[in-house]
Amino acid sequence: MDAGHDGVEKPTEWRSVMIDLADASLAELVDRDDSTLSRALRRLTDDLTRPGEPIAGFNSAV
Amino acid sequence: MSPRTFRLTDSALAALGAGRPDADTLGTLRRAQLSRHLLLLREIRRAQPEAPAWFARLTAADPDEARRLIADPMTGLWAAHTLRDGASADGPRPGGHSLHTTCADLTLTVRVDDADPLRHLLGLTPAGPLSGSELAHWQRCLDDAWRILVTRHRPAAETMAAVLRVIVPVRPDPAAEGISATSAEAFGAVAMSPPADGTALAVGLLHEVQHSVLNAVHQLFDLVQPGGAPGYSPWRDDPRPPLGILHGAYAYLAVTRFWRAEAPDARVAGAVGGVAGFEFARWREAVMAAAEGLLAGGHLTAAGTRFVTALADEARPWLADAVEPEVARLAGLAGADHRVRWRLRNLTVAAEDVAALAAAWRAGQPPVRVRSVPTAAPGRALENSPRVRLARTLARGDAGRGESDPVLTPGGRAAAADRACLRGEHGAAENAYEECLDRDRGDDRAWSGLALVSPHRAVRERPEVVKALASALPEAEIGVLADWLAG
Repeated sequence: MDAGHDGVEKPTEWRSVMIDLADASLAELVDRDDSTLSRALRRLTDDLTRPGEPIAGFNSAV
Repeated sequence: MSPRTFRLTDSALAALGAGRPDADTLGTLRRAQLSRHLLLLREIRRAQPEAPAWFARLTAADPDEARRLIADPMTGLWAAHTLRDGASADGPRPGGHSLHTTCADLTLTVRVDDADPLRHLLGLTPAGPLSGSELAHWQRCLDDAWRILVTRHRPAAETMAAVLRVIVPVRPDPAAEGISATSAEAFGAVAMSPPADGTALAVGLLHEVQHSVLNAVHQLFDLVQPGGAPGYSPWRDDPRPPLGILHGAYAYLAVTRFWRAEAPDARVAGAVGGVAGFEFARWREAVMAAAEGLLAGGHLTAAGTRFVTALADEARPWLADAVEPEVARLAGLAGADHRVRWRLRNLTVAAEDVAALAAAWRAGQPPVRVRSVPTAAPGRALENSPRVRLARTLARGDAGRGESDPVLTPGGRAAAADRACLRGEHGAAENAYEECLDRDRGDDRAWSGLALVSPHRAVRERPEVVKALASALPEAEIGVLADWLAG
């Protein structure tokens, strides 16, 4: 993640390392080798192996 | 051409933090989740020498249908599970029953999934295949919930329509009234026990959709630095890490806003009351306390600080809303009840510290300083408090029912103490709890009740320390010990 700045205190936008692949097809992605894909995938696989409980639970009687 | 990285404007991130994302931002989150699923599926496929059947199925489908299947929450769950555990060669197989409900011009379409073999990965024990009458119950509750949401909580309904795709029915938990859960690996899926009615479903879905939204934001931007120690969370009985506390605050932001909007129907002389007023008053305090704790705790990233600042800015003005004094008192008591039960469940004093305290007491010396430390891995817990349930009953204006509430019938003396506590009869409650503790100094229900009504500061603020010492010195009076500890 990176924060873009316009010279004032607050960043104007927040940039993720995740890339927008929503318009690509799965077959096309399987054939593509690309460092940005690897970087984004690493972020996802890091999430998969992060310790801790992925579940957020709710008990209406708490 | 390289694909574009996801970006959010600062105002979009702040609006997300405030729980008010617009349609474009929700569209960005959905594209991010579709991208996540595509990347995970690509990785699974590339690890295999031959194209598996699921890959052939997905790539042969019409592009829109393929996109719909890939974006499905259960596909994300399957892909994460397969990459982590290397199982399930069959591929994702979304199943179940499609339910639709429309109010005004807004439609919610969800799949009630009682078939996916991986649905237990949402964290709760799945129910079996639904009968016709069970499915009809879900449809009825969904219709009622949707009418409530669309007519009185339109922005939240729009968010829900954009995010929620799957409900996995789960078995009820006898220790709780209604339970639900969300996994970071299944954006838009909710596991939930059968709701009592439309309101319960509306609140539960609002809560869980917030978790999905927060999970999607957190996959784009780290909001919390790793490594924060678990601490108090007002909505869980177990200690939670900073990200867990943020999840709770964000989910209850939506719950609090729901009850705030429901409360005008219960307005008396300008102040809100009833159950809506009770829930609103209880959770506004909890959300603000959690948000302020996160902002002061030093574990948020820059993006996390922006997000939580917006969350706190949204909730802070709610603290000024008038709530009927008796309802506000009951809500405050429920919040305090949770905190003292949490301390007694999760904090302990080392045996050598208790021995040092007891030795100082016997020698007539001042107390030594002792620390309360978290007990080892108590795990996830769902517990029901009879006092909170009674507080809700009283807030509903059903004061007489407290006498015969089945939850309070067993336990005799403890039940009488709880009733006195909830009525604000602190002296009577204190005596009754102390009688319970004369019989058993390990009785946590009595200790937590005593901590709510005791005039002794040490009992109110550090009940786990007084309990440990009183158990080591059964001959000593609790109040005297507490005053000695407070110095």
